[in-house]
Amino acid sequence: MSDRPNDIRYTSSHEWVRYQGGVATIGITDFAVEHLGDLVFVQLPEVGDEVSAGDSVCEVESVKAVGEIYSPVAGEIVEVNAALGDDQGPLASDPFGAGWLFKIKTDDDASSLMDLATYEAQLDAAS
Amino acid sequence: MRHTPLRDQHVALGARMVDFHGWEMPVQYRGILDETRCVRTRGGIFDLCHMGRLEVTGPDRERLVEHVFSANLGKLKHGRAKYGFLLDEGGFPLDDVLVYRDTDLVHIVINATGRDHDCAWVESRRDAAGLDAQVREVSDDQAMIALQGPVSEAVLQPLCDANLGKLRYYAFTNARVRGIPTLIARTGYTGEDGFELFFDPAEAVATWKALLETGADHGLEPIGLGARDLLRLEAGMPLYGQEINTSIDPLEADLGFGVDLAKTATVGIPALAARKAHGLTRHAVSLAAEGGRVPRTDTELFDAAENGERVGRVTSGGVSPTLGRTIARALVHTGYESLGTTLWADVRGKRWPLQVVPHPFYRRGA
Repeated sequence: MSDRPNDIRYTSSHEWVRYQGGVATIGITDFAVEHLGDLVFVQLPEVGDEVSAGDSVCEVESVKAVGEIYSPVAGEIVEVNAALGDDQGPLASDPFGAGWLFKIKTDDDASSLMDLATYEAQLDAAS
Repeated sequence: MRHTPLRDQHVALGARMVDFHGWEMPVQYRGILDETRCVRTRGGIFDLCHMGRLEVTGPDRERLVEHVFSANLGKLKHGRAKYGFLLDEGGFPLDDVLVYRDTDLVHIVINATGRDHDCAWVESRRDAAGLDAQVREVSDDQAMIALQGPVSEAVLQPLCDANLGKLRYYAFTNARVRGIPTLIARTGYTGEDGFELFFDPAEAVATWKALLETGADHGLEPIGLGARDLLRLEAGMPLYGQEINTSIDPLEADLGFGVDLAKTATVGIPALAARKAHGLTRHAVSLAAEGGRVPRTDTELFDAAENGERVGRVTSGGVSPTLGRTIARALVHTGYESLGTTLWADVRGKRWPLQVVPHPFYRRGA
């Protein structure tokens, strides 16, 4: 299991958000990756797309299933992790680092999202 | 949910358990791709206790099986198995089955989904034909475990009293494994050499453990239903409900080897023969692509990257670790089945190209 960072925010649908100077970097947690199984494809959003919180903006496909990734915040997509198109490995090996999915320029704050302790309590309650 | 005698073994091995048609079954232990490679290169052990089995006995047992089974039992020697279908009157499969012709009974392996209706169907045809035979569902009276992959014979031989070197592909023998009476069949659903074992379910855990223990030196590992589905797709084998069902017949599905159209007294054969005489309007094809989205079951296929005609749909799709390509079986309109034809899979509004390629995707030793 990856060590989950304490300085980022989490969603109940297993995305994570790292805020830095008005830009939110978004990825999926080790739990989500583990649950999907062997990954084979990532459909990233387009840079410039305007998204609302809760929009399905990205799809991560595994051998067995397709996982939809919802944007936790509203804003404009300013960067995507295009390297994942060729190699989905970083999603499994470094989900909170090199496996990031996309970045959104946003005015939203993190107040409605979970901190690590709350997220892990949710995982424990579900297992 | 129902479960097999091996459920606790799967959980202890760290399997991810899922609901498979009402059965709590392992979909994977370590990972679907890893398990698929393991069976291709070494070997795997599968819990198939959920699958259904029928035993047909009595004086008219072979006449009854001939009457409901699409392939020709008369041409089959005792101790041999044959693949075919239970057809409805319209010539559509109610199930695909493996028939094992023994000297005093006929053993039929059916799908887990066939447990609900196959036995009653065969009994109803027996009664309609006035035949003297007994049909008994023995699914819960036998464990079923498969060993598949190149190391299968080396793993099983030390535990059994049959000479496996003499047991040919699609043959079976009544022997002993760990001293327990076991029907050993050289059959499977992976495209690899291997065996399927049928025996007293009270011995399921002991035999499972013994095979895993003996197999450990050979790299044998437990394999879940996820890899099983990928292995059979790579080997071009159909899954009932997807490649064939009560609206896709065996000739359209390119499974004519399981049908003897000369058996005009068999249920469904006259209807199939009549459709063939009219000419088939749909064909099963194998499709492949380098990467891209995985075309799942029911993904629609078009003849162009934009607009164009809808020409068919995917029946099964996946990513083949053996070939390193995206693969799919599909049912397309006549005229789109030629090798090299490009078809476009519509995945959530975006189209991905696939080529019609030779069938099957994978053949062992090739």
